[in-house]
Amino acid sequence: MSLIVAEGLAKSYGRVVAVDSLNLKLDEGSVTGLIGPNGAGKTTTIKMILGLLKPDRGVVKVFGQNPWDNTAIRSMIGVVYEKAFFPSHQKTLDYLQRVCRIFGVPESRAMEVLELVNLQEASDRDIRALSAGMLQKFAIAHALIHKPKLIVADEMTANLDPQARSELLDLVLQLHRDEKVTFLLSSHILPELSRVCDSVAIINRGKVWAFGKLSELYEKYAVGIIRVSTDSSYALEAEISKLKYVKELESDIRGISVRVVEGKEDKLYEDVPKLAKKIKAKILGIETGSASMQELYRLAISAKERK
Amino acid sequence: MGKGKPFLEVLASAIHEDYRFPFLEVFAFLYALGTFVFASFGVTITAQGGTSEAIVYEAITPLLSIPLFIFIILVFKNIAYGLGSDLEKGIIQTYFSYPLKRRGILTAKLLSALGVALLIFLGIQISALYILAPDIVLPQLDTVLLMYAANLSYPLLIAGIMLLLTLKLRRGGITLVAGIVLYFAMSIISAIATVIAFATESPLALQIISVISPSLALQQYYLGIFDFWTPAFSEVILYTGASYVVVAFVFFLGYTYFSRRLNL
Repeated sequence: MSLIVAEGLAKSYGRVVAVDSLNLKLDEGSVTGLIGPNGAGKTTTIKMILGLLKPDRGVVKVFGQNPWDNTAIRSMIGVVYEKAFFPSHQKTLDYLQRVCRIFGVPESRAMEVLELVNLQEASDRDIRALSAGMLQKFAIAHALIHKPKLIVADEMTANLDPQARSELLDLVLQLHRDEKVTFLLSSHILPELSRVCDSVAIINRGKVWAFGKLSELYEKYAVGIIRVSTDSSYALEAEISKLKYVKELESDIRGISVRVVEGKEDKLYEDVPKLAKKIKAKILGIETGSASMQELYRLAISAKERK
Repeated sequence: MGKGKPFLEVLASAIHEDYRFPFLEVFAFLYALGTFVFASFGVTITAQGGTSEAIVYEAITPLLSIPLFIFIILVFKNIAYGLGSDLEKGIIQTYFSYPLKRRGILTAKLLSALGVALLIFLGIQISALYILAPDIVLPQLDTVLLMYAANLSYPLLIAGIMLLLTLKLRRGGITLVAGIVLYFAMSIISAIATVIAFATESPLALQIISVISPSLALQQYYLGIFDFWTPAFSEVILYTGASYVVVAFVFFLGYTYFSRRLNL
């Protein structure tokens, strides 16, 4: 069953086209990442899904219904916005207890969700006194109050320190595993998404450029990728780039991702050690098909642009 | 889950924010000060005599002037700045994640911003009337009610226009500035219209102003400042009714925009 279906969605702000003929389908039980550069249309898409923005064209259905001013579906959705704001002169626990009453769940749930995000010690603090990271955790607790079936989060881990991010991703996995919660997560931090997502929608210029299961996307776009780990990435990259069968390559401090013409993988395995020897670089490992999500994203975008 | 619970909780949350310490205390004090200090003058003036309705009019008019101005300040604070900031910062977005219709959210915000302000205003006014001048006020209750209705429609119109401005601009600070400019512009236009009416001895300008501010027609009816226009009592009621139709229309526009068109 699809929880979110968007067909031909379009939204413009004056002359600026934010979303153009966007199609998206989110299956129940999936964890889908919405990735794309700044201004790609991720937030606009999420706002239309949540009924905050009215599409200029197209249809969006959430739980089979139009989300615009539909109160029935709000009880099934948890929302985390990129910038979280709440009535600031209320205490965290008091406000969450109010939200419990709004959704008709026991008030004890307020403390439960604060504990889930490790914010129990701030339970008697004014919301305005929370740091940016704490406020983000509070927003996540707020989204979990009514045990939603679907959580839509726009840059959920923004403002969080690395440990809090990791804990939050563990929580996403736990909720997905134990309570079968469906997630739609928008983020710029691609390694995080690769940890929790089973599907990805790559958005660029207001359209979905690639969408599907991660495994399918890797198969489609990342075939022929070989990762070379070395102690001299940039020097070796210069040598590898001279090989005629190399289509693309990208290096970072830990190694080089090389994409070769199909069928030339074995040739690269032969040539790389020779090139390394020539420039006295040390090869730490060579493996096939281990593109990062960053690479997958880049490959999908460039494949689409070539079309 | 009942439909009323989310509404009441959002209302309670809005009241908590709009009237947090020391706003409630300060405004209640100013209301009381403005009412009781000027009330004593009003009662003194009534001793001069006239018809019983005119006596009531003269007694109550001073009670209204300062508190009505404070009411308008509270409207600016709660609607222009309060609702504007909520829209700007995203608190309304947060409310939109609750199982409550858009019009319910706006009603909760307006009940807090306007309803509570009006309750405090009327509460203190009624107390003042009963404490200071029960013998004058009680026999002329219909005149008293008409006075309050006529005097409140203009501040409510300002509130409605502020609402439209706030929904359009969606910025607390800039809406506050725009609202103050608009308020003074309306006052200046009203003053110019009065001067024109006085110079031309034509009641047309006064009649137009009376549609949005029927207290002018009421003043003419009781005090007859301008010789060339003395409206009948039925006309005063007509102007008052028309002014509330205008107020209702402005709020209707606000509700329609908020419910059907407001993109966040």
